[in-house]
Amino acid sequence: MLRNFVKSLSARNLRCSIKNNGVSQSFISRRFIAPLSTTEPALKAEKVKVTFIFHDGKRMETQANVGDSLLDVVVNNELNIEGYGACEGTLTCSTCHVVLKPEDYNKLPDEACDEERDMLDLAYGLTDTSRLGCQIILTKDMDGLEIQIPETINDARV
Amino acid sequence: MFDVAPSVKSWEDVPGPRPLPLLGNTWRFTPYIGGYSVEHIDKVCLALREEFGNCVKMTGLLGRPDMLFVFDASEVERVFRGEDAAPHRPSMPSLNYYKHTLRKDFFGAEENCAGVIAVHGDQWSAFRTKVSRVALSAGAAAQYTVPVAEVADAFIQRIRSIRNEDSETPADFLNEVHKWSLESLSLIALDTRLNCFNASEDSESMRLIDAVQTFFLSVGELELRAPWWRLYPTKMFRQYVAALDTILSVTLSHVEKALKEIKANGSSKSLLQDLVTAAGPRVAAVAALDLFLVGIDTTSNAVASILYQLALRPQVQERMYEEISKVLQDRPMKPGDVNQMPYLKACVKEVMRMYPVVVGNGRQLTKDTVVCGYNIPKGTQVIFQHYVMGNSDDYFTNASEFRPERWMNRSPAQKHHAFASLPFGYGKRMCLGRRFAELEIHTVICKMVQAFKMEYHHEPMDYHIHPMYTPNGPIRLKLMDR
Repeated sequence: MLRNFVKSLSARNLRCSIKNNGVSQSFISRRFIAPLSTTEPALKAEKVKVTFIFHDGKRMETQANVGDSLLDVVVNNELNIEGYGACEGTLTCSTCHVVLKPEDYNKLPDEACDEERDMLDLAYGLTDTSRLGCQIILTKDMDGLEIQIPETINDARV
Repeated sequence: MFDVAPSVKSWEDVPGPRPLPLLGNTWRFTPYIGGYSVEHIDKVCLALREEFGNCVKMTGLLGRPDMLFVFDASEVERVFRGEDAAPHRPSMPSLNYYKHTLRKDFFGAEENCAGVIAVHGDQWSAFRTKVSRVALSAGAAAQYTVPVAEVADAFIQRIRSIRNEDSETPADFLNEVHKWSLESLSLIALDTRLNCFNASEDSESMRLIDAVQTFFLSVGELELRAPWWRLYPTKMFRQYVAALDTILSVTLSHVEKALKEIKANGSSKSLLQDLVTAAGPRVAAVAALDLFLVGIDTTSNAVASILYQLALRPQVQERMYEEISKVLQDRPMKPGDVNQMPYLKACVKEVMRMYPVVVGNGRQLTKDTVVCGYNIPKGTQVIFQHYVMGNSDDYFTNASEFRPERWMNRSPAQKHHAFASLPFGYGKRMCLGRRFAELEIHTVICKMVQAFKMEYHHEPMDYHIHPMYTPNGPIRLKLMDR
């Protein structure tokens, strides 16, 4: 039930929409809030390959839709990462923390906005190439992306 | 489930002031004889940490569950990270009674429409999910940038006109800040300008202003003093209920208006309309009610406190002024501007670290949990002492110094524990109004610094719990036009 709800959220719509330069004002279009189900009628959904790498070295490869966030990918593919995405992409927690390779990190089209940065501050094991998965929207040229899922405090305790 | 490790100590072993037979610990909070003052719980907590350590048990409080005060930021982090799907946040028994007993016909009429304040479990979770997407997405507040700036302009005009001959704000300045806060919130939650600064008698605005004021006056009394209202409806309690009824009826009437407008326009154009569209009229009305109950005095006390702290620091104001001028260059504010004012944002964070409006945040444990090495039973109220932790050298280098820069350039050489200062909380129960509160605060502080040089020429003020943590005394700021 919850999962279905999260699934129906298009993460694109929850993304921080204010760029630092304040130029992009298109967010004022309310498209991003109104309908609950915003999965666009994808005639032919484009797919990219993404690989999740867990702290114990385990790898999980999956095909993901372009336009989905990494949080969507985890939820849609039922990857069952414990506690991942607790706040459903509303930028109030940091459970969807991911670490990217520097070259991938630098290629991301959007920098983290202030709201994301405030939450990243609270992420466990923060690195220079950390982001929140709910804020990373897959594009075509991200095919082959490798995503590190960092150790959580619960792993560290054992 | 896992067994408790043998090294874990039991609840009985947690240190803390010993309850007396029959009297428990309640007597400690009695004026004059008890030594613990509710108004100065900040100092009580500092002393408790000094005496007992990072984790202090407070039992035997009349009509309250046992409490555990936590002063260890890493333990706060662990409890937050271990939260389940519906963390229980203790709050306001009187409101609980209003929603779940007195007016249960309304709040229980639809499934999951009781709101977020004083609501728990699945019922809370379902409501929160409906609302948080609309209220917490980063863009939700941005659409209010321009109107919120207009309210801030009106506020500045107002205080220009009420300064005395020495250019000082009047003793009841905080009340003016409350009006600004109510005006801003009505705009966001109800799509309405109330014109609080010059509302006429008998207007809906005046009724709402009065009701909100009555609510704040009575809620502190009802929650902090002996709960006679549980036995019979005291006069204070009846006023409180009448005030809640008024606020609810006003929010309902605005929801109706919003419904009509959505029908007429075929699309939604505001937070309220978005809420109605996404979650239905009743949920929207209750969300607006909750925003009114907890979103006015929190924001206004924060602003009053920040202005006071800035008035004590002319150099900080100068640096802010430079930053603001560079970004705005004499044009009106637009969305995104504040994101280019990192120093302003850091100053707000720094005041909230040293003087958090809400000194502690809490959870009622939904399962037995190990905290600070003790096994804490389910049902205990765990209070995270953010005032104490935020001002501790254990978590922030030179904690007693006002240094906004600490939020801008982090270095590993500087201590900075992210979970020690959390003015909006963390995780699934983080403040639902955070985006709006931040927009309002950043905007009005920006406008004030832009308009005035602020100074303070009276006795330095201590802070007290009232029930927000706020300067104890009239906020008489000298405001000189720039």
